[in-house]
Amino acid sequence: MDRRRIRVLLVEDEEIHRVVARAVLRAAGVEVEEAENGAEAVRRVRERVAGGGGAYDLILTDKQMPVMDGLEATRQIRAMVVATPIVAVSSDSLPPDVQAFITAGANDFTPKPLTKEKLGHILAKFGLA
Amino acid sequence: MDYSNLRRQAASMKKGLFDQGHLDEQFRQVEDLQDEASPNFVEEVAVLFFKDSGRLISNLEQALEKYPRDFNRWDAYMQQLKGSCSSIGASRMKSECMSFKDNCGKGNVEGCMGCLQKLKREHAILRQKLESYFQLLRQAGPTGAATRPVM
Repeated sequence: MDRRRIRVLLVEDEEIHRVVARAVLRAAGVEVEEAENGAEAVRRVRERVAGGGGAYDLILTDKQMPVMDGLEATRQIRAMVVATPIVAVSSDSLPPDVQAFITAGANDFTPKPLTKEKLGHILAKFGLA
Repeated sequence: MDYSNLRRQAASMKKGLFDQGHLDEQFRQVEDLQDEASPNFVEEVAVLFFKDSGRLISNLEQALEKYPRDFNRWDAYMQQLKGSCSSIGASRMKSECMSFKDNCGKGNVEGCMGCLQKLKREHAILRQKLESYFQLLRQAGPTGAATRPVM
C-alpha cells in the first residue's frame, strides 16, 4: 500500500537556510513547499484549506521575515482553526523568543539550522515519522 | 594524475579547517546532504554563504556609519550573519558575531568595531581556505572538469 508523502511547508526568507532545510527535508523523503515570508505562508495554508487539497502535515517557520514575520503568520494560521503542527526554526532562541512562538500558537521550537537529527525528533514527536 | 594523493590532501585540508576551529559539526551535516542528485551541494552552499555573508557584512558596515550607536540595529544585522554562519558551520566567524553582539549589549562601540574587523579577517581566511579545498576536491574527484561556482 502506498504511503502518502508527508507535506511540509517551509517558511523562510533567507536563501541559504531554505537551501539547507530543503535538502534536510528531501533527504527525509518529505514533499516540500516553500514560502518566503509569513504572508505567503498564510496564503498557501488558506488555499489548501479552501481548495480541499488537504492541510500540510507540518509547517516549519522562521521568525524574522519581511512582509509578515513567523509569529504573526502563526497567529493567523491558528485563527483559521488549522491544527497543523507548527514548529518555529529560528536563530532567536532565547526563552522569551520561544515563549512568544508558543503563545502565538506554535507547537514547538528548534534553533537553526535544521538538521536531520532535529527533523527526526520533530517528525517523531508529531507522529509523522 | 595521482587522484588518491589529491584526495588525501583534501582530507588533510578539511581536517585542518576543523582542528583550527574554522568549521564545526554543521559542515559535516551539510556534507551529509550531498548525494548523487546534488553532487556539488556542499560547494553550492559555500558559494551561497559567501555571497550572503559578504552582503550582510557590507550592510552592517553601512549601518555602523549611517546609524551611529544604534546598537539594536547593529545587533539585528549581526544576528542575521550569525544565523548564516550557523548554516554552514563557520565556527570562528560565528564566535566573532557573538562577541559583536555582546559588545552591542554593553554599548561598546570600539568593541563592536574591533569584532567587525576580526570577523572580516575570518571571513577572508575561511573563503580562501574553502576555495582551495574545493579546488582540490574538483581535481581529485572522478569528474575533474566539474563546473566551478564563483565564490
